[in-house]
Amino acid sequence: MALINVAAREIHGKIVYYGPGLSGKTTNLQYIHSRIPSNTKGELLSIETETERTLFFDFLPIDLGKVHGFTIRFHLYTVPGQVLYERTRVAVLNGADGVVFVADASRDRLPDNLQSLRELAQNLTAQGKRFLDYPLVMQYNKMDLPQALPTPVLDRYINTVKVPRFEASAINGKGVFETLRAISKLVVNKL
Amino acid sequence: MPQFDPEISRMVVVEEDQAQISACLQRLMADSGASYSMVIDRAGQILASESDEVRPEMVHLGALIANTYASTQEMARILKEDGFKTLFQEGMKEKIFTETVRGRWLLVVIFDKQSQVGMVKVLARRSSAVLANILDLVERRSTEVNSPRFRQVGKATIDTIDLLFKDDGCSDDE
Repeated sequence: MALINVAAREIHGKIVYYGPGLSGKTTNLQYIHSRIPSNTKGELLSIETETERTLFFDFLPIDLGKVHGFTIRFHLYTVPGQVLYERTRVAVLNGADGVVFVADASRDRLPDNLQSLRELAQNLTAQGKRFLDYPLVMQYNKMDLPQALPTPVLDRYINTVKVPRFEASAINGKGVFETLRAISKLVVNKL
Repeated sequence: MPQFDPEISRMVVVEEDQAQISACLQRLMADSGASYSMVIDRAGQILASESDEVRPEMVHLGALIANTYASTQEMARILKEDGFKTLFQEGMKEKIFTETVRGRWLLVVIFDKQSQVGMVKVLARRSSAVLANILDLVERRSTEVNSPRFRQVGKATIDTIDLLFKDDGCSDDE
């Protein structure tokens, strides 16, 4: 839940990057961390396996500076995408104010995207959230790959709820900030 | 275990709340000899903290503790337990004790060998009960607050988002 601390004049929001394994959630955070000014960001914390896959979460605090005397802070998290870590994803999703669903646009990953999206809907519902009203944006990542499905096909299969969606190639930074802007605004609009 | 209330989409902590929470944390630290204490929400955001010294990286610690706690709740679910109410980490120099407050917030206490673990646990439990009453009130009041002031902040924040999150980024590291 968004925290408005009038005494400390701070507003905090939590945004979680969700999606199947290797869809590029960590890459999004790494790109954001590499591009925003150092006075705006904290250290990027990653809890990984020995093979550098996300084990628990990545965490990046971002400070937007002062707005009308309030310091605005977003905490960005990723979940571990591998199927094994389903309960860990539930834990990280706790208290999130908004979610970016990072889909892998590759043709052979469509079933994984659908399974992950179903799981996200179940997990949010289990936390008492109304999935259809929840601040959610989608990112079709790896659109630069030859095996990427066309956007209309991804729209038809993945974005049945018709939330804002963005084409991306996170490794090159394409679509990363567009996605972040969209989810940040949805979260702020819920204040 | 109390469930997350989906109708409360935000929590508004005002000066009086902050003063009450801080007084509770200060008393806990004075009585237990702890060097640091904080209250965080389930998202890992710090509501209030008190410290004997400047401690960097507490934002990261808050995130780690909140996620570790959420993780233990999933462990409890697997074991068909109602939930685990505390966390305890013991290092060579310092220890961290975490007690749940109504299952919605966490009270975190950092202390060294000068303080007894048992004493910290008892005092933390007592403080948790006091904090629960304060935070319940804050939470109830938060649902009623619909200040135009926050809407104004929200509008201005959207302009800041456009400025800061530009497509090409705006790194100063290059």
